[in-house]
Amino acid sequence: MKNQKAVVGGIAIVLVVILAIAWPSISGMFESKDTSWPKKDITVVVPFNPGGGTDLTSRAVADEMSKSLGKNISVVNTPGASGSVGTISVANSPHDGYNILANGFMSFVSYPVMGYTETTHRDWHIWIATFAPNVIATQPDSAFKDINELIKGLKSNPGSVTFGTAGIGTGGHIASEVLKSSLGIDYKHVPYQGGNPAIVAALSGEVNVVPQLSMEMVDMLRSGKLKGLAALTDKTLEIEGADPIPSITEAFPELKNIVPLGEAFGFAVPNDTPENVVQKIDEAFKKAMESDSVKKLATEKGVQLLGYSGAQAQEYVEKLASVVDWALFDGGVAKISPEKFNIERPGK
Amino acid sequence: MAIQYILDTFTQLLSPINLLTLVLSVFFGLLVGVLPGLTSTMAVALLTGLTYGIAPETAILSLIGVYVGAISGGVQTAILLNIPGTPAAAATALDGYKIGQRGEAGLGIFLGNASAFLGTIFGAIAVLLLTPLLSVLSLKFGSWEFFLLALFGVIMCGSLASGGDTLKGWISGILGLFVAQIGLDALNSYPRFSYGNVDLMAGLPLIPIMIGLFGFPEIVNSFKNEKVKAIKEEMTYRVRKGISILISKFATVIRSGFMGVGVGVIPGVGEDVAGWLSYWAARVSSKNKEEFGKGAYEGVIAAETGVNATIGGNIIPVLTLAVPGSTSSAVLLAALWLHGYRPGPLLMTETPGFIYTISIYLVVSAFVMLILGLIISRYTVKLLQIDKRILMPIIFVICAVGSFVIDNKFFSVYIMFIFGIIGLLLSKTKFPAAPFLLGVVLGPMADSNLRRSLVLSDGSLAPLFTRPICLVFVIIIAIMILAQFKVFSKLQAVLFKKKANES
Repeated sequence: MKNQKAVVGGIAIVLVVILAIAWPSISGMFESKDTSWPKKDITVVVPFNPGGGTDLTSRAVADEMSKSLGKNISVVNTPGASGSVGTISVANSPHDGYNILANGFMSFVSYPVMGYTETTHRDWHIWIATFAPNVIATQPDSAFKDINELIKGLKSNPGSVTFGTAGIGTGGHIASEVLKSSLGIDYKHVPYQGGNPAIVAALSGEVNVVPQLSMEMVDMLRSGKLKGLAALTDKTLEIEGADPIPSITEAFPELKNIVPLGEAFGFAVPNDTPENVVQKIDEAFKKAMESDSVKKLATEKGVQLLGYSGAQAQEYVEKLASVVDWALFDGGVAKISPEKFNIERPGK
Repeated sequence: MAIQYILDTFTQLLSPINLLTLVLSVFFGLLVGVLPGLTSTMAVALLTGLTYGIAPETAILSLIGVYVGAISGGVQTAILLNIPGTPAAAATALDGYKIGQRGEAGLGIFLGNASAFLGTIFGAIAVLLLTPLLSVLSLKFGSWEFFLLALFGVIMCGSLASGGDTLKGWISGILGLFVAQIGLDALNSYPRFSYGNVDLMAGLPLIPIMIGLFGFPEIVNSFKNEKVKAIKEEMTYRVRKGISILISKFATVIRSGFMGVGVGVIPGVGEDVAGWLSYWAARVSSKNKEEFGKGAYEGVIAAETGVNATIGGNIIPVLTLAVPGSTSSAVLLAALWLHGYRPGPLLMTETPGFIYTISIYLVVSAFVMLILGLIISRYTVKLLQIDKRILMPIIFVICAVGSFVIDNKFFSVYIMFIFGIIGLLLSKTKFPAAPFLLGVVLGPMADSNLRRSLVLSDGSLAPLFTRPICLVFVIIIAIMILAQFKVFSKLQAVLFKKKANES
């Protein structure tokens, strides 16, 4: 009998632990409606795996935001289908600001044309924290010494130079597609599951080129394990501790229309979130962007701080959507025309 | 220099707050490991969120502690209930459960914990001494090698866990591989078998499948109208006996340690493969092969050492390349970044002491894990004495809640039910569940890497035979399959007959 008691006690402890872990979701079921915000802890849904660009950025910014909001912000990773699974889960939960989506907006704007969502970026309030441009990088001992040689190689052997990216519809792939359609080149796409594996494949020589984000390869560039041939920026990309990377427009001025191209990280809540909640998030976001820890993240990771919100953010995402969605559609990756969602062709 | 770093780390450790953090986080990790459904990845991720405000050293210490605890905790339920607490403990359950049923659960858990301890220490030593060397290894594995490793894992597990009929093991493994194909494919994001359902598009969640496959049959079987066999549990076991078993199997410990570290270093391949691989190696090189699967101590020792040695192995590419070796270490990597450390190629030049710090954290976590694990097991072994008809409904609730908390979706609970019924059918028809689970784990890896390889080679299969590591895998896989169909003994018979006829 004594043993049974001990065991029942043990099981009770176990149940309490489980309850404690599941509490945010259980308590959510009993919350009453109230106008002041935030009343309870906030969840930020990161629709990608931990350790990626979206995850790192949103954790750093969310931590600062929680300080000024006075409530905990817990970050939950719900990866799947280019981040659309987590995006849909936020869209389907109550639009009360307690569920905030973190995302990379380059993949976010592609969901409607890729057929993942029926809604577009215009259905969301958007905050853009940071921007990480795409960098075209190779092994230091690669046959392609600069961007001109690479493009020459791509033109003379269409479809044989391999590009390793983080997967279909991700930043690296979209950038490659934009280059393909605007320079008239063809490459062999080798998708990996995430930016890190793609970069490792370039290190080991399994692929010739990796067109991923600056922030993902910043230490590889600093240590000289990878060489940046060109950055998809409008001017030379300076990264602390690494060689400056020339802008692609130096060699190909005709690409002025498409740069800067890269992933913009930030937050979003559905449009019909109450105005006072949006206001609160906005204040906390702006304060967080001023903080030292977010600034430190930017220098370390080689990203630009944008801090856009409201109309400015919406305008930025609109341009991104037109470049990205049309490149995906023209390249045959996206099956649904951007016209269906009134997204205009870039440069119009 | 090295001594200075080590001394610094120890002075930090001795502060009361750090010691308390260490003990609490290892304990939390062990609890997470014991409970089916809560994984090491989740534990590290959960704790990362809680460690923002505290000093970086304390934060990293607590994350390492919880990581070590969560990986090691799975052994308890595997031995006591045949429900592995973590997917990696499925290999431990194979012999561990039999040991428990024999009335030696205490000894079994001691062996499991002690091997886990040794494995962790082995991993820590590898981090300290072999980091520069092993980080080269993590670049040696290309897409072809990943594909063959996954295939090898499923075939190996199929023949190990089958309990006699290898074909059934393989069928079960291949069913698992099929289940893993559900969802958006990794290369082209093409929805497979998802019928427009968003939850299915994301793929079936692994942990609810595991809970269903292993938990359900145990729960249902406990309600069968058989006479309840009360197990006369030997509460007290001789620690000396456990230690002498360990010493006699020390070769297995060393071998499994190497395999665990090796598997850990390869990015994207987790603890589960390491457990099965060390188990396989132990069985192949053992003199008493027939004991395996029937409660061999060596099976538990091999699996647990291998699983825990991956912790050190996983950390090596995190430190040198900023590439995680597994999902748990991916979260650890993110946490290191958040706390201002910069793992990656610059780590050795910028903060050379960090590698010592991490190794020492691993070692002290291992010690605390061993002590706490043994204390906890004094209580958990009593589970066996409770009438299963009272215990199992409680376990069932834990299983359902465990599935729910993975992503707070009821979909996962449905999946647990569906795979529970599949698990029940499998156990009724004597198909092993472990290869099924490993198939689900390795399916995405096998699928995406094979297709990526074929893109790289323009559809040619030639690299399978021209890349050295590939060739080794191909030969081992071929031998395993041919041996199953008794090709070698038939060949021998034919050859001998010929000779006999000639003479």
